[in-house]
This record gives sequence, structure tokens and C-alpha cells, in this order.
Amino acid sequence: MDDVPFLHSLVDALGSPLNVLLPHRIAENADGFHSVYRKHHLTGRVYFAHKANQSSSLVRRLAAAEPSTVGVDVASLGELQHVLGCGVSPDRIMATGPKDPDFLWLAALTGVTMNIDSPGELEQLAMLIREFALPRADVLLRLSGFEAATGPGASGVKMLSRRSRFGTPLQEVGALLDSVERHQDAVRLTGVAYHLDTTGLPEKAAALEQCVAVMDECRARGLDPRVIDIGGGFGVGYLADAGQWQRYTTELANAVLGTRPALTWRGHGYGLRNEGGTLRGNPALYPAHRPTAGPGYLDELLSHPAPSSGRPLATLLLEHLYDLYCEPGRALVDQCGLSLARVLDVRRAGQDSGDLLVRLGMNAGDVSLEEHGVLVDPVLLPRTGTAGTDDVSADGRVGVYLVGNLCLEADLITRRKVFLPRLPHAGDLLGFANTAGYAMDFHAHRAQRQPIARTVAVVRDGDSWRWCPDEEYWPVKRPGGPVS
Amino acid sequence: MRYDSITEAIGNTPLVRIDQAVHGLRHIDLYAKLEMLNPFGSVKDRAAWNMARPGLAEAAERGATVVELSSGNTAKALALLAGMYGLRFKSVTNRMRVPEIKDLLLLLGAEIEELPGQSECLDPTDTEDPLTRFHQALAEDGNAYLHTNQYFNPRNTEAHAVGTGPEIVKDLGGRAPDWFIACVGTAGSSTGVARALRDQDPGVQVVGLVAHKSDFIPGIRTIDEVHQVGLFDPATYDTMESVTADEAIDGMLTLIRRCGLLAGPTGGAAYHGAVRHLRTVDAELEESGTEPGPANRRTAVFIVCDRAESYLSYVRQRRPELLGRPPQKNSAAALTDAEVQAQAKVVDTDDARRWIMDGQPRPLVIDLRGPQAYAALHIDGSVNIVDELFGELVRGGLPFSKRQPVLLACPVGEKSARYAALLTRMGHPDVRSLSGGIVAWRDAGAPLVRD
Repeated sequence: MDDVPFLHSLVDALGSPLNVLLPHRIAENADGFHSVYRKHHLTGRVYFAHKANQSSSLVRRLAAAEPSTVGVDVASLGELQHVLGCGVSPDRIMATGPKDPDFLWLAALTGVTMNIDSPGELEQLAMLIREFALPRADVLLRLSGFEAATGPGASGVKMLSRRSRFGTPLQEVGALLDSVERHQDAVRLTGVAYHLDTTGLPEKAAALEQCVAVMDECRARGLDPRVIDIGGGFGVGYLADAGQWQRYTTELANAVLGTRPALTWRGHGYGLRNEGGTLRGNPALYPAHRPTAGPGYLDELLSHPAPSSGRPLATLLLEHLYDLYCEPGRALVDQCGLSLARVLDVRRAGQDSGDLLVRLGMNAGDVSLEEHGVLVDPVLLPRTGTAGTDDVSADGRVGVYLVGNLCLEADLITRRKVFLPRLPHAGDLLGFANTAGYAMDFHAHRAQRQPIARTVAVVRDGDSWRWCPDEEYWPVKRPGGPVS
Repeated sequence: MRYDSITEAIGNTPLVRIDQAVHGLRHIDLYAKLEMLNPFGSVKDRAAWNMARPGLAEAAERGATVVELSSGNTAKALALLAGMYGLRFKSVTNRMRVPEIKDLLLLLGAEIEELPGQSECLDPTDTEDPLTRFHQALAEDGNAYLHTNQYFNPRNTEAHAVGTGPEIVKDLGGRAPDWFIACVGTAGSSTGVARALRDQDPGVQVVGLVAHKSDFIPGIRTIDEVHQVGLFDPATYDTMESVTADEAIDGMLTLIRRCGLLAGPTGGAAYHGAVRHLRTVDAELEESGTEPGPANRRTAVFIVCDRAESYLSYVRQRRPELLGRPPQKNSAAALTDAEVQAQAKVVDTDDARRWIMDGQPRPLVIDLRGPQAYAALHIDGSVNIVDELFGELVRGGLPFSKRQPVLLACPVGEKSARYAALLTRMGHPDVRSLSGGIVAWRDAGAPLVRD
């Protein structure tokens, strides 16, 4: 964001909103995860959960990474086609999520590893393989429902977990393994998997230890699985300063309780509510400051003692000779890109209101900060020559609400009041750091025929930057080409 | 003292003066109300008994389970009370972060459920927090539970308004103290005691202590969390101040090492918060020229909520040096990497296989991995001694004869090299480490068995 004229030239040429991606960054992030593997002497791949971002440049950059260390996790037929087209070989691809027959067929045909969700899906896959005389498929079994488990890996304390739609409950794993044995002509069991939607280490530790127990049972049955896939959910820290986050959440609670002026549009409580002076509800916010996130979180998990045996989880994996797979999405695209929006208009909300509205060439779907509970402050990138000294408050900062380009009352980029160093002017840019990696592709839409953000890949070129459309990026040095 | 039931021993706890030489306040007498001497070990005995008492007999009739959202002391008291009435007790919490307390509760027969951590991928349409869901579940199944509801139950506060508070007044010769300092958890004890003291003397100053927002002190809420407590009313407190985990441990150390009071970190936080607050007031009294004589003395009371024993791992995590022991002899961890490299004899998979087959005598193969990993796959004929146990064994000396060659194996050959170096240094002539460990052995296609 230091090169403001460059960013302005991009938006001038390509329109607002605009997503700017840094493909080299995703490879660095993958390497960050691998350094944790190395520290614990573990082998296995880091799979990029493709659903986090539609971009081609990111997948192509990963395709160019060391094949034994990085793969891609695809959750739809379209993603599988895209990843194959980006040059990722099938042995580095894993198919997860809900699968229809077309997706299963193409995955089995090309030799992609299948992360099997249920006994029904295993049956369906085995039938397809026989019907079309496809090669034997490598499968991982996705497990769930670790809370009620007994046997090795269970502890005296029952750990409740959010119910998941995915995976086979641990209690039914016996029948699932019977099914694997029955279909040995069609499938080869290579491991087990889980994905828990939680930031809590103890829940993940219990699941991992219980997966080791299931793997041992597989070995006892004469199967030879090698891999435990621990899914993703390693998190991203959006804010470096813990104190800032603590002060904000305290003041948000005070605002909901009515002991200070509102911090949000129409006193929105982000899930908190005031019931007779007592604060109820949970803040529906992503923990913007996390003491450990991404590779740090993986390190903490692997160092965490298994609840039953007390051995650190990495030691457990290593001693049992199991490889580790993980599937970070958000954490792999951390700091991979920013979203830019042009300021279109600045005005007061009304005669009797002190609220200032800044209208952007972007809508809530383009960054979907609210959908993800992410509260990042945008950075003001002034258009040269527009900086004035008017409208500056005593401390130099001004609180505004960011509204979008849709003709809908609800279209706020974020419902909280945002504080900028000065009142922006039409033509300035706001840059949302670290949102083009994860927060952009889930909700962007063409409502009211507003343009969806274009995405460009940028690479460093000496002291300056070079750019190309995302779909034109290939990680190859080309003399004279747009991007090397 | 003869009682028919242990519940009769709840309450009537001592009020003990803290030596002026320890706290250094010149004009103020500081007293500790020793709630840790309740029969189940904490201030929560009073509230638990007062809340549960009316419903226990009826709950026993219908075979109900006693339920509470508690991270420790209330659960402990309720579990014991439930047991006396033949009832089951279940604690639901996401705040129980002290392992000893979990184990103790399991020993008491409690069932513990931990609430899930926060979702990594937020669902903004999900407006219900786990606690709300928990309350819904209790309401649905109305007959099966006796929910004491400590954060909202007025009988929690009442236990202190009729018990703890009046006891303090009685022990101070019928006078209320000038200051009352209490940590805020459920707000039950602070609110109840404050009410009783102000009935006696409306001028009592009440100091509420909360945990620093980023810190965790068992039994105390942070400034945000107190707002979620139904019994919490900001008007109860003349001032709210926060204490860090470090300060709580400092206070606890003072109470233990200098006052003979075996207090836990919550009591430590109360002591630290009390002295910090009173020091300012004491200085003002000093400046105003008040004589420190008996006529002008003020009094302050703080609560020692529970005992230290359950928090050793809490202390170990934050201040390991307080539990420090001198370095062990024969410790593998004490070797530097260079020493390991210089002194460990290593042998690769091929040589190891030949040695095992043809050695004269053949080496003893020791697998240092965990027992389950060993059971799943191991080198034929090897012995499993898990590394932690092996470390304990060698601390006392060589656990096998010097004439017995030994091959040590671990997952990647790192721990085994460390022990090979240590045993060599201890005088064993032929201990070797399997280079690359069991992983390299497997990758070389050498046989592994399960028997």
C-alpha cells in the first residue's frame, strides 16, 4: 500500500472494486506451515482449501511449489477442473465436501484422493469405479462426533462440540471399515480425516488422538493407512495489538449496555444484547487478535498433549509412523491480497444526525466483512492533490459509516463506525488489507448489475510492481511478458 | 464440636488479622475472612448449600440430576451435596482450565461437559450462544434437572447477606469495616456481604476486583464477563479494579509464605487488590496527620476464597521457577546438541539389521515410543520402554549390564541419539542409536511386526 499512485492507476484502468493478489505470498505461507512440520519431524502435504479463493494465480503459484509438500483440496467439480487446468497433478489433489456423481467420476478417473463423507458415498464411489472400470481410488475417511467416544483417546471429561453436517460419527466407524474391506477391489484406504469448526485446541486434540486409535484399528484389520488429515481452521490474526481488540470489545459491550455512545450503525450489537442491564448473547465476531494463528496454531496443536496418553500430538503421530495432512484455507491466503474501493460521495446522514456517510464503489458482498465477522479498518489512499486541511477533527480522526453502491438500506460495508485520519474526498481510495485472500469470493454478486470486482495478480519488479489479470498469471519467467 | 451432618460445618469461618509488618499499612487493620476453611474448601459452600437445600429432597424423589455452570468450587460443593442425597451432578462450563479441578470433580463423581470453543468460520445468522442452548435444553427437559443457576439465583447472594456479612460484623465487635474488598465471580459473595455491611453502616466502601481482560484468574470474571452475570449490579461497588494473574500469584505467595494462610490465587488477587487500593488511602491518612493510634484506626476485610493445592499446575504454567527443583543428574535434556553429536554412536537400518541377526552377543533393542504406537508396529523382539520412563530409569544409573549391547530406537532417531550419548557418557561401552529411527527403518522396507 506504499505505492499509492500504482494502486490508483490500477483502479482507474480496471474499475472499483478491485482485488489485488500477491501470488508469491501463498507459497511463503505454505512454507510457514512446512517449517512446523519440519520442527516436529513430520512429513505430509499441506492442502490449500480452494474454496477460500477462486483465483487462478494462487493455485498456479502453488502448482509450481515442491509437489511432495503442497496440494489442493477441491470441494466441487468446477474447482477440480480448475485445479487440474492449473497444472496440479491428480496425486496432489484431494476431493472433499458434498460430491455429486459427476464430481466423483472425474475425481476417480483422474486418480484424485477422495475424502469420504459417509458409508453411502463410499458405496456410490465403489459402484462408479466398477461400472466404468476406473483405477482403484485412494480414500480417506472423514470422521466426526468425537465427543461421546470411549476407548483409547477418550478422557473423563465430555467435550461438547458443535454438530457438523459432515463426516461419519465415530461410533459408526466399525461399519464404515467393514464397507472399506468389502470394496477393497475398488478403493484403497490411505487414512482418516476430520475437520472441526472450532478455535478450541482441546477439541482438536481429542479428535486427533481418537483418529490415531482408529488408524491402529485399521492396521489390526490388515489395512495399511498412512495419513491423518486434520482439516483446517488454524485462523488468521487480523490485528497485531491485543489491547486494541480488548478495548474495542469492552466498549462494544458498554455501548450495548447503554453506558457509552453507539459504536455501530443504529446500535447494532454484533450478537450481544441488553436484557435488563445484564449482557446476553455471544459476540458474533471473528477474534481479530489471536495470540497464535496459522502455522503458530498448528505448532501449538502439535505440541498439545493428547488428552488420554499425555504424549504431545506430534510425538503420537510420529511414533505411530503416520503422515500429517492439513487443509488451511484462510490461513494460507493470509496477507495474499487487498480490496480497493473508490470513494464516490461523502455526506451527512441527515440534518439532525452527526453521522457521516462515505459511499464507496463497492458493496457489502464484495468484501463481506459482516458475513465473516471481520472488523478491519480500511487504509485511506488519497488521490494526489485532493488532500485538504478541512474537515479534520481535533484529534485528526473522523468517524464515518461506509455505505455501499446498492439501493438497499442494509448495504453497509461494515456496520461499525470506522475512524479515518481525515474525512475522505471523492476519488480517494480505501484499501481493505487482507480481505482479498478470504473475505471476497463467498458472497460477491451482480445484484443491480453492479460490477463484481476484477482480480489482478501483482509481482515485485525491482523497485516497482508489475500486474496482470489473475487469469493471465503463470509462475514462469517470461522475458518482456506482463508478469514473471 | 459435634455435628450430625457436614453441612452444619458450613460458615462461621475465622477472621484473621494480617500482620502489619507484611502489608505495611500504618492506619488500617487488614483482616482476611478465611472462606477456604469451609468444609468443602471454599466460599462457594455457602451459596451451593443455600441454593440447593430447598430442592434437594424433592429432586431425590424424582431422581433428578443437579446441574450448574461452574468451573470449580461451586461444582465441587454441589457434587458433594448431591452425593449426600444420592443424586448425580453435572457441571457444564468452558472456563475449567485447571486440570486438578477436573480430576477432583471426576473423583467426586461429577459429570463434566465442556462447551465448544468459538467457531472458526462464523455463521452470522447464528444468534444463539452455547449457553443459551444449554438453558433451552434445561427448560425442555424440566423434570430431569435441579438447576441451581448461581449467576442469577438470589439465594446465592442471600447466603452471604445472612451468613458471611453478619459474621464479619460480629467478629469486629459489632462494627462494619471501613472497606470490604472482594473478587467478583458470580457477584454473590460481594453483593451479599456488601448488603449486610451497609445495613450496619452505609459508609462502607466496597471494592470489586476483576481479572485483567487478557488474563485468567480462576474464579474471577473479567470486566466484560461480569456484565453477563445476573447478580452483578455496578451500583454495589464504589470502585472496580483489575488484577493480573501475576499479581494474584504474588498475593498468594505473600499469604502462604508470610501469613501462614494456604490461599489460592483468588485469595491472592483479593489480598493484592486490597493492599494496592488501601495503600493510597493510607498515604492520605498519613498526610492528613492522623495519629496511627488505636482511636483512629480503620479496618478493611478481604475474602480468601479457597486453597492453594488445586492450583499447582496453574502456578507451574505461569511461574515454573516457584516450583523449581535443582537440575537432575543423568538427564538427557541437559546434553547440548554438540555433545549428542560427538558422543552418540549411530547405526543405520542395514547395519542394525545385520547387528541384530549376527551380533555376538546380539543387542537388546529398546523402543522408546509410546505403548500404543509400539503395539501397532515394532521391530521384532524389541522391548518397549517409553522415553519418559527410560529417562527416570537412567537417572538412578545404568539399567542394564555393560556387557549387554543396546540398540535404542525412537521415531526419527533424535531422542535415541540423546539417550545413546547419555548412556555412553555414563560409561556404557556399546549403546547405539538407530539412525533415522523407526521411520527410516520402515522406509527402507525393513520388517515391522505387531504381536
